[in-house]
Amino acid sequence: MNVHATPQLTPAETALIEAFGERLGALPGDSEVMARRDSAIEAIKAGLPTRRVETWHYTDLRRLLSKVPEFDATSSAKALDPLLEGSGVVTLVNGAVSGTPVLGNGVSFAPLAERLADGSFAASLETYGRDDAIGAINAAFVADGIALDIAEGTELEKAVELQNLQAGGQSHVRMVVNVGSGSRAVIVERQSGEGAGLASSVSQLQVGDGAEVTWLIVQEQPETAQHLAQFKAVIGKDAKLTLFVMNAGGKLVRQEVLVRVAGEGSDFQLRGVNLLAGDSHTDVTMVLDHAVPHTGSVEVVRNVVTGKAHGVFQGRINVHQYAQKTDARMACNTLLLSDDGEFSTKPELEIFADDVACGHGATVTEIHGDHLFYLMSRGVTEKTARGLLVKAFVAEVIEELEDEQIVEALEARLDAWFATHG
Amino acid sequence: MPAVQETIDQVREIDVDQYKYGFETEIETDKAPKGLNEDIIRFISEKKQEPDWMLQWRLEAYRRWLTMEEPTWARVSYPKIDFQDIYYYAAPKNQSGPRSLDEVDPELLRTYEKLGIPLREQEILAGVQKPAADNDEASDNVYASGRVAVDAVFDSVSVVTTFKAELAKAGVIFCSISEAIREHPDLVRKYLASVVPVSDNYYATLNSAVFTDGSFVYVPKGVRCPMELSTYFRINEKNTGQFERTLIIAEEGAYVSYLEGCTAPQRDENQLHAAVVELIALDDAEIKYSTVQNWYPGDVEGKGGIYNFVTKRGDCRGARSKISWTQVETGSAITWKYPSCILRGDDSQGEFYSIAVSNGYQQIDSGTKMIHLGKNTKSRIISKGIAAGFSQNTYRGQVSAHRKATNARNFTNCDSLLIGDQCGAHTVPYMEAKNATAQFEHEATTSKISEDQKFYVMQRGIPEEEAIALIVNGFVKDVIQELPMEFAVEAQKLIGISLEGSVG
Repeated sequence: MNVHATPQLTPAETALIEAFGERLGALPGDSEVMARRDSAIEAIKAGLPTRRVETWHYTDLRRLLSKVPEFDATSSAKALDPLLEGSGVVTLVNGAVSGTPVLGNGVSFAPLAERLADGSFAASLETYGRDDAIGAINAAFVADGIALDIAEGTELEKAVELQNLQAGGQSHVRMVVNVGSGSRAVIVERQSGEGAGLASSVSQLQVGDGAEVTWLIVQEQPETAQHLAQFKAVIGKDAKLTLFVMNAGGKLVRQEVLVRVAGEGSDFQLRGVNLLAGDSHTDVTMVLDHAVPHTGSVEVVRNVVTGKAHGVFQGRINVHQYAQKTDARMACNTLLLSDDGEFSTKPELEIFADDVACGHGATVTEIHGDHLFYLMSRGVTEKTARGLLVKAFVAEVIEELEDEQIVEALEARLDAWFATHG
Repeated sequence: MPAVQETIDQVREIDVDQYKYGFETEIETDKAPKGLNEDIIRFISEKKQEPDWMLQWRLEAYRRWLTMEEPTWARVSYPKIDFQDIYYYAAPKNQSGPRSLDEVDPELLRTYEKLGIPLREQEILAGVQKPAADNDEASDNVYASGRVAVDAVFDSVSVVTTFKAELAKAGVIFCSISEAIREHPDLVRKYLASVVPVSDNYYATLNSAVFTDGSFVYVPKGVRCPMELSTYFRINEKNTGQFERTLIIAEEGAYVSYLEGCTAPQRDENQLHAAVVELIALDDAEIKYSTVQNWYPGDVEGKGGIYNFVTKRGDCRGARSKISWTQVETGSAITWKYPSCILRGDDSQGEFYSIAVSNGYQQIDSGTKMIHLGKNTKSRIISKGIAAGFSQNTYRGQVSAHRKATNARNFTNCDSLLIGDQCGAHTVPYMEAKNATAQFEHEATTSKISEDQKFYVMQRGIPEEEAIALIVNGFVKDVIQELPMEFAVEAQKLIGISLEGSVG
C-alpha cells in the first residue's frame, strides 16, 4: 500500500492488526475468502497510505486515522425512519443484519455472511491495488452485509433503503446489489450512528443492460466518527446510473466512488453535496472509467466548508483508447466560508481517445458580495442572506434529481444540517 | 470532435523526423573523465577557477544528493539513468570561458551561424545580413533578426556573450554564471539557491553539485534593460550531460525580458539536461522569461533524445513585482518541468503561458505552481497541450493560497488536443485554498468562455464555433504579442492551431 518502508506501525495500524488476530476465528468464509482476508491484512501491515501515495495526497490516512476503537458486541443503534416514505428497509446494526426485511416482488435478499461462508462472494473481496486501503480494511474484517438481487425487468415502485448504523466500536459491512437488465430501482444508502466509531462500508453495484438506477448515499455520522466508504459500480449497455452523495457528518470521512462505464450507450451522473463543519476532514475521491465508445457522464460536486474543516475532492476521468465519442464533464464548486477552513481539489483527466469532448471546471470562492448586497438591500439580515445563498448553492444540485419525493427528502436533510450548523 | 486538418499539418511540420538542428559540430573537446564523484566536482570547480566557498557548496550538494531518491510521481517512464556513464564536463578545446569573438574557434562560430544565432555584434549593429547560403532553414529562427544580447553556451561552457559593454553602460550585468561567481561573488552568494534550495529535489541537488554554465543577469534598481537578453544552449558532445544554472535578479523597479533557446544533435543515446533557473523580482520589478525548447526529441522509434529535467522557479519577493513564464515546448524525449512562481510580495503577480507539442514517442509532464503567500496576489495559467503519434502529454499544475494570502486570485485554463488514438493527454491540476477570500477558477473547456463575450461576437453574424476560436485566439495572441517579436512569429504559428477538437 505504501511504497516507502514503514519502520514503525502507528497505534491505529497495530490496533487493526491485533483486532484481526482476535476476530479471525469468528469471521465467516471458506478457504478462498480467508486467503483474501490474509492478503488484505498483509497490505495493512505494510502501512496505511500517507500523502506520498498520490491517491491519498490530501488525506494522510496514516496520520488521520488516529484511533481504532475495539469491537463492541453490545453496541446497538436505533433504526431510522426511511428517507423516502414507504421504502423497504434493510438494517445493519453493528456490522450485522438486524431483523428480516420485507421487500417488494422481484427483489431477493440474503445476508452477506452466508455468501461469504459458502465462498460464492470470495471474488468480490478483491482490492483494486496497493492504494486500496479501504478495500483492504473492509476485506479483512467484513463479517456481514447485504446481498440484493433485483430480477430482470423489475420496475420497483418503492425504494429500497439500506441502513448501516453504528454506535461506537467498529463495523465493516458490504452491500452487494445486482440490478437485472431492464429494471428500474431507487436505492438509498444511509450511513449513520452515534458515538466515536470506526465504520468501513463497501457498496458494489452492477447495473444490467438497459437498467436505470438511482442510488442515494446519505452520510450523517456523528462528528466524532471515522467513516471509510467505497462505492463501486459497473454500468452495462444503454443503462443509466444516477448517484447522489451527501456528506453531512463524521470527523474523518473518505468516500471513494469507483465507476466503470462498461456498456455502449450508457450514462453516469454524479451529484455530490459535502457539508463540512467543526474540524472534520471529508474526502470524496472519484475514479471514472469510460471504457467503451458512445458513453456520457456528468459530475457536479458542491462543497460548503465552515469552521476548521478540510474538504477534499479528487476526481479522475479516464477515457480509454477505444472509447471514442465519450462526452464527460466534471465540475467542483466550493464555498469556503471561514478563514480556518481549507479545501483541496484535484480534477484529473486522462484521455487516450482523440474524438471525445471532456472538460472539467473547479472553483473555490466565498459568497459573492453583490449577491449578498442584493438580498440585504431588500431588508434581509446578513445572516439570513448568507444562509439563503449557501443553501441555494447546494440545493441547486439536489433539484437536478427531478424526482419530487427525492428532492424534498434530501432538502429536509439539508435543512437539518443548516439547523445545527447554519 | 477530432482535430482539423490544418492543425494536423501544423503538428506534422514539427514531427520528430523533421528535426532540423540535428547536425553535429566536429570540434576537439576537453572532457572530464566519465562518471561522478567528488574529484569530478573538484575538477569542474578548478576548471571554472572558482573560489573555495563555491567548491564546498558543490560538495555539500553532492553529499546531499547521494542520500536522495529519484522522483517517480511524474507521468513519464524511462530506463534507469546510469549517472556514472555521463561526462559531467565537456568544453571545446582552448575554450575554458568566454573571450573575444576573434579567439573563438571558427568551427563554433559556424555552428551558431547554422543555428541562426547572431554572435557578431558589429554586424548586427550595422545590419549586415548573415551569409544566407546554408542558413535558409534558420532564417525564420527567433534570433535571425533584431538586437538580442546572447550568451552562447556550448556543452559545459559559455563561449561568448554579446553586447556586454553596451549593457554595462546601463548598469546591467549579463555574463556567464562562471564569470559571475568570479567577478560578482557577493551577488551570487546572496541569491544563489535562495529560490530553489540546494536540496529542493533530486535533479536540482544534482545540478547544484555539478552545474557547469548558464547565465547571470543583474538589473539594478530602476533600470529597464535596454535590450532582450538571451541564452542559447547547445549540447554537442556525446554522452555528456548539460547542467545549466541561470540566475536572474531584478532590483526594485527594474525590468528585464529574457529568452532561452536550446538544440542538440541527433544521437541514438539519451542525454541528460538538468537545469536550475532562479528568478528574483524585488519591489515593483518585472521579469519575463521565455523559452523555446527544441532539444532533440529522439527518432521516430523513440530512440535517443534529451531528458529535460528542469527546475525553474521565480520568487516575487517584493511588493507589486511580476514574473511571467512563457514556454513553447516542442523538443526533448522527456520533459519534466514546472516553471513556478512564489508570490511572496503583496500585490505581486505570476503568469504562466505554455504551448507543449509532443510527437513520436515524446513524453511531456509539465505545468506550473503558483504559491500565493502575500496579500492581493494574482496568478494566471494558460496551457495548451497537443499530443500526436505515440506521445504522452500531461499538464500538472498546482495553485495554493496560504492562510495569510487574502484576496488571492487565480485563473487557470488548460486545453489539450489529441491527434490520433495512440497518444494520451492528461490534466492533473491541484488546487489548495486555505483562505476564505481566495478565488480560484480552473477550467478546461472552450465552452466556459463567458456567455456575454460569445453573444457579443455571435450577434454580429459569426457562427458559435468561430466566435469561440476568435475569443480564445484573441486572448492568447494578446499574450504572444508581449513576447520578443522574433519569438512571437514562431509561436504564432503554433498558436494558430485551431481549438476545434479541444478536449480539456
